[in-house]
Amino acid sequence: MASRYDRAITVFSPDGHLFQVEYAQEAVKKGSTAVGIRGTDIVVLGVEKKSVAKLQDERTVRKICALDDHVCMAFAGLTADARVVINRSRVECQSYKLTVEDPVTVEYITRFIATLKQKYTQSNGRRPFGISALIVGFDDDGIPRLYQTDPSGTYHAWKANAIGRSAKTVREFLEKNYTEDAIANDSEAIKLAIRALLEVVQSGGKNIELAIIRRHQPLKMFSAKEIELQVTEIEKEKEEAEKKKSKKTT
Amino acid sequence: MAATFFGEVVKAPCRAGTEDQEEEEEGRRETAEDREVRRQLARKREVRLFRRQTKTSLEVSLLEKYPCSKFIIAIGNNAVAFLSSFVMNSGVWEEVGCAKLWNEWCRTTDTTHLSPAEAFCVFYHLKSSPSVFGSCARKNMQVTLLTCRHVTDYKTSESISSLHFPFLKALKTQNFKEPPCCSLLEQPNIVHDLPAAVLSYCQVWKIPAVLYLCYTDVMKLDLITVEAFKPILSSRSLKGLVKNIPQSTEILKKLMTTNEIQSNIYT
Repeated sequence: MASRYDRAITVFSPDGHLFQVEYAQEAVKKGSTAVGIRGTDIVVLGVEKKSVAKLQDERTVRKICALDDHVCMAFAGLTADARVVINRSRVECQSYKLTVEDPVTVEYITRFIATLKQKYTQSNGRRPFGISALIVGFDDDGIPRLYQTDPSGTYHAWKANAIGRSAKTVREFLEKNYTEDAIANDSEAIKLAIRALLEVVQSGGKNIELAIIRRHQPLKMFSAKEIELQVTEIEKEKEEAEKKKSKKTT
Repeated sequence: MAATFFGEVVKAPCRAGTEDQEEEEEGRRETAEDREVRRQLARKREVRLFRRQTKTSLEVSLLEKYPCSKFIIAIGNNAVAFLSSFVMNSGVWEEVGCAKLWNEWCRTTDTTHLSPAEAFCVFYHLKSSPSVFGSCARKNMQVTLLTCRHVTDYKTSESISSLHFPFLKALKTQNFKEPPCCSLLEQPNIVHDLPAAVLSYCQVWKIPAVLYLCYTDVMKLDLITVEAFKPILSSRSLKGLVKNIPQSTEILKKLMTTNEIQSNIYT
């Protein structure tokens, strides 16, 4: 039945499905994992880096992009679709700033991206964007925000979320481990993001990329060394926790 | 050709009735010739068994020459990766022959023009354990098949988003008495192609056989999909064959990195 209703996205199936939108969500699962965490004074985005070919320039393969000084996003899915969405959002951020003389709120730009995505689910002859995005940032009021959008054009605010391949596993990890203690301070929030990614990333710290935004500060990308340091600390803490456990049982 | 409102391209039906009839007649005339050509090509189909190292044909049937009690077949790149890293890296396996086939869909004119590397199936036997290719008779033989299928082929009343893939399903013949390592494949799902042919053969000839089918969302070589086959290592047929699991996992990871195809479509 699906094959008769998935040709043109403007057609509903008899049981109310928009198959092209659902297939676009499958395309998102082909992208590598991205995780976003909203702390008290910090927002963190972590992604699983794709392995870069020998002759490829690493700088051009980026999953985390700044939309403005105070907003950034990570995506999972079709690279080309992401590039188009990011370019349009960046233009919108500047256009808004010039018109209203205020920077965009995170919610505004998320709504803009979500509306753009929804238009493509209702347009004749176009296919939906095959990306999900995690948008983080601080508004002028100093409150941290994390939003997630998907190919259907819906958006929601989250405390922590993951998208892409193995997103389910990461989300389950976050549901268990996102506690008040875990986000008590900035370094704990960063460690939580890295621990969530290590659940699914196959070769450890060298395949992780991390970005943070602190209140009233611009986006900071972590270098490979800084991430390795964090990973070593996490592994030490894990060992100590295991030693304590084994002592308790004996 | 015409384009519809939805952007599909469809063939516009011809309203001139007579033109249609002529075209049909021509079609019919050609079909008879086509049939003859196809018959000629079908006669040329062949399956050849030979030894790769010496390039000599195996005159005798492989099973008669190397009677075995355990026959394990892996179909598809993930199943083959599992078998080669977990089973074939423990112990010494010797290649005893390979199969080349030719049918009218092949690009070359006959088997002699296929390069030696283009074997469709390679047969190995375990040097150190004669019982694997041991005492006689198909009576004692047990067949294990491993293959993968895309999860969209899996029919279930539950929604796909609630399933945790990759997952394993089993299908066995009547004579297979051992409990399988995972749940059985439910109706209305069916098995296709080579695994179906092998299972049918085993069912007819009363050979105990089991197929372990991994439903996955990644059909290319993928670590998580290959690791989904791990429960099979506890089955009777594979138990004695796998010695060092951590080492096998390392070998598997190396296999993944060497086979990674650079694709920039998804990030």
